[in-house]
Amino acid sequence: MTARPEIAWQRLSPRMLLVHPVHELLRELPLLIGGLVLGSTTGNQSWTVAVLALSVVVGVARWFTTSYRIEADPESGQVQLRAGLLQRKVLSVPLNRIRSVQTDARLLHRLLGLAVLRVSTGQEARAEHGFELDAVRVDQVPRLRAILLAESPQPAEAPTAEPEASSTVLARWQPSWLRYAPLSLSGLLTMAAAAGVVYQSGAFGPLQHSRLVKSWLDAAERLGVAGTVAVIAAVVLVASVVLAVLRSLLTYGNLVLWRAADALHLRHGLLRLRERTYDMSRLRGGTLRQPLLVRIFGGARLDAVMTGVHGAGESSVLLPPCPVSTAESVLAGLVGDRDVVTGPLRGHGRRAASRRWTRALGFPVLAGAVLAVFTLTSVVPLWLWTAWVAVTAWCALLAADRIGALGHRVDSRWLVMRAGSWERRRDCLATAGIIGWTVRQSPFQRRAGVATLVAATAAGVKRYPLIDVPEDQAWAVAAQASPWVADSMWARR
Amino acid sequence: MPPCRSNSSQVGGILDDVNNGEPSPKVLGMVDPAHPPSRRAPLRWAVGGVVPWLLLGVGQLVWVRFDQRLPWLHIVIAVGTVLGATISVAVVPLWRYRVHRWEIGPQAVYTRTGWLVQERRIAPISRVQTVDTHRGPLDRLLGLANVTVTTASSAGAVHIAALDVAVADHLVAQLTDIAAIGGEDAT
Repeated sequence: MTARPEIAWQRLSPRMLLVHPVHELLRELPLLIGGLVLGSTTGNQSWTVAVLALSVVVGVARWFTTSYRIEADPESGQVQLRAGLLQRKVLSVPLNRIRSVQTDARLLHRLLGLAVLRVSTGQEARAEHGFELDAVRVDQVPRLRAILLAESPQPAEAPTAEPEASSTVLARWQPSWLRYAPLSLSGLLTMAAAAGVVYQSGAFGPLQHSRLVKSWLDAAERLGVAGTVAVIAAVVLVASVVLAVLRSLLTYGNLVLWRAADALHLRHGLLRLRERTYDMSRLRGGTLRQPLLVRIFGGARLDAVMTGVHGAGESSVLLPPCPVSTAESVLAGLVGDRDVVTGPLRGHGRRAASRRWTRALGFPVLAGAVLAVFTLTSVVPLWLWTAWVAVTAWCALLAADRIGALGHRVDSRWLVMRAGSWERRRDCLATAGIIGWTVRQSPFQRRAGVATLVAATAAGVKRYPLIDVPEDQAWAVAAQASPWVADSMWARR
Repeated sequence: MPPCRSNSSQVGGILDDVNNGEPSPKVLGMVDPAHPPSRRAPLRWAVGGVVPWLLLGVGQLVWVRFDQRLPWLHIVIAVGTVLGATISVAVVPLWRYRVHRWEIGPQAVYTRTGWLVQERRIAPISRVQTVDTHRGPLDRLLGLANVTVTTASSAGAVHIAALDVAVADHLVAQLTDIAAIGGEDAT
């Protein structure tokens, strides 16, 4: 760094002086509630004041200790971030390693006209290792994005701009998508998280003795055990549905997915606005995911398979649960071939099917045998047999569904893999992105004459397995997808 | 050697033409790679495999020394340990030696590994990112080396275990020579 001219360190937007203390307070919320409770029981509120003051000081200090600089040289340029209150650290990212730039604005950021700029590289796509500028003014974002992505062919565009006339809108959020929201566990998880916060803050103890809880307990005694359980279950169910719908609405209501030139843009969030720009030249395909309940109601979600973007989790989501026709047409538009997305697949045959049956029914048959032995020697309650029949029927249905799902389709450009029942997925993978093949066989698979074929790629979840392909087809699939396998010296024709 | 079509393996966009050439004749399977690991490899695996069982045995001796209340349990565990040690010394290393194979072609690295669960893995040399040599204490004692060839995918690294040092050195030189590492992005 000595040879280069020194570039001055810049601070983030001074408006963050308002944001940091508030975020710091929110982060210390359990501590603050604890302080309040402690204060009200001891009659001494100085703890609360101390927590408040400390949060504000830490928040302000965070702004003063954070700075960044950009060396805008396309060859050896890098962006550096210096941060840390007690433990100083400097993060450096070479500009030519930057794969995508994302912005994210929570409510407070939006009110103040700020946005968090996140930079991700091919190597570390996980959020916790990410490089983020928290925060810069929204009107600076296009300029920064242009500098940061100087090498990548990405149009520099204002993050809040509506899709231009030259771009095509691929999908817009519809109110009907909300019907898939209650089918996920997000409502229950939100409630569990809220309960955790209440419990952690220490507010649980005083609550136990409050009048409200006493009146509830009295009501519960009057209702009896069965009644109480029914009421609690109903309340939890309704609350989780409401929360899940609300959460889905706030996160995805106003979602727009559009394509302009070589980039794919995704923007969503009513309160917290998130915007992602994906470089189309890094797109290696897409995954249609259909959890069982969503599938029953004709829905699907769409994930991008992209280098430099972590394959699982929120960063790769293109569409939340939506009608399957929407997800399919969007993916078909990206892939450029409708057959890849909806075309028929080649099944894996009888041996793969029988493996599904033995796996699904192995445990029920064993349990049935044990039950039969017990029935002969002693009395077994009838409900046990009823439960056994239900479990067996469920496992059989699952196995049948898994057999129906299993399949693949391959040509020189696309590898399509479908599997799963509980969490069905159809992975469409560009063969150009496949940089390794593994054929794996357990002793059972060797006996059944099948193998697991794994396509390795630098994109998405990196590892795309295709289970129980007939052994003689495994290498044929690999060879059809990758010419370097077909042309290798080991290929037998 | 069939003609090479490496011009079609460029990193490209989602809509790029990848392989518009004539459909290649159907591949029926793959011949196994040619080269076995070092002759000392079974010894290396036997020693490496027996160490945990020896530690377990020592633990049992200490246990017997201080507590003799459940003799049948001691006998069951001792039999289990002896059986495990025997398998890991006499069966696993030889089985592994029969399975393990490797070979470097002009375009790809190909290996066969494992014993109970067996894997064949192939990776194109044009996409290789790093070639690492690893030598543990046991490997150094026996003059062995392990080579790991990584690509941009965490699911695609090729491991070649228990080679003679001279062979490993030659292999690394050959690979770095063909791969011209750092030339392109390789993702």
